[in-house]
Amino acid sequence: MSEKTYEMIFCIINAGYSETVMDAAREAGARGGTVIRARGTAGKEAEEVFKITVHPDKEVIMILVPKDIKDAVLEAIYKSAGMSTAGQGIAFSLPVNKTVGLQ
Amino acid sequence: MALFAKKKNTETVPAEAQAAKQLPAGNIAPFKLELLITIVEKNKAEFYADLIQSFDVNFQFLTPARGTAKAEILDYLGLADSDKSVIFSVVRSDRLDDIVYMLGTKFRTVRGGKGVAVSVPFTSVIGSSVYAFLCNARSTVKGDE
Repeated sequence: MSEKTYEMIFCIINAGYSETVMDAAREAGARGGTVIRARGTAGKEAEEVFKITVHPDKEVIMILVPKDIKDAVLEAIYKSAGMSTAGQGIAFSLPVNKTVGLQ
Repeated sequence: MALFAKKKNTETVPAEAQAAKQLPAGNIAPFKLELLITIVEKNKAEFYADLIQSFDVNFQFLTPARGTAKAEILDYLGLADSDKSVIFSVVRSDRLDDIVYMLGTKFRTVRGGKGVAVSVPFTSVIGSSVYAFLCNARSTVKGDE
């Protein structure tokens, strides 16, 4: 069990852009991540109102990072795979209470 | 002096019993819940899910995933692929230390069983029966009598 404080970054992105996210995260100091396939569910009406098309095939990338580099990793993801890019990614972080298996 | 004596007495009461006494009457959520996220090799997912389930865990789900190690690193390490499974388990906070200790031991000792686990606290749950199910509070379930 580790005493260092970590946060889990979740990044939801169009399928096929996970490498873009991971390259950016690694440059900011992250070690690795795990990718889960997922499906987006934005409503048709909202898509028309906001004039965006939501690609239904998604990937969720989970990256566990030390708390002190969390902001740098999030910023790197935003710049390389944010909503204004083809990946249309959103990212957020959650605090984690316990971690095990990081050594 | 009297204050000191009183404090000393409370320290001898077991922590769980003390916590139960401090709960207001009618508290329907005495246990905190956390989401335990365990990432392991695909072929070890059922093994770890069964282990976690033995700690009063009633609700788990597994999803296939893949690691993000690059192909050249996998080749260098002689690994075939990076297929993984993610186990999401709803666990009680008071059982979390035992589960984390067990997982840490298994991650170190089981061949090909390395993994990572983190926990994220719940802040709310909808429905008292769902809550009772998630924290395995069997005493709250009415019997047939």
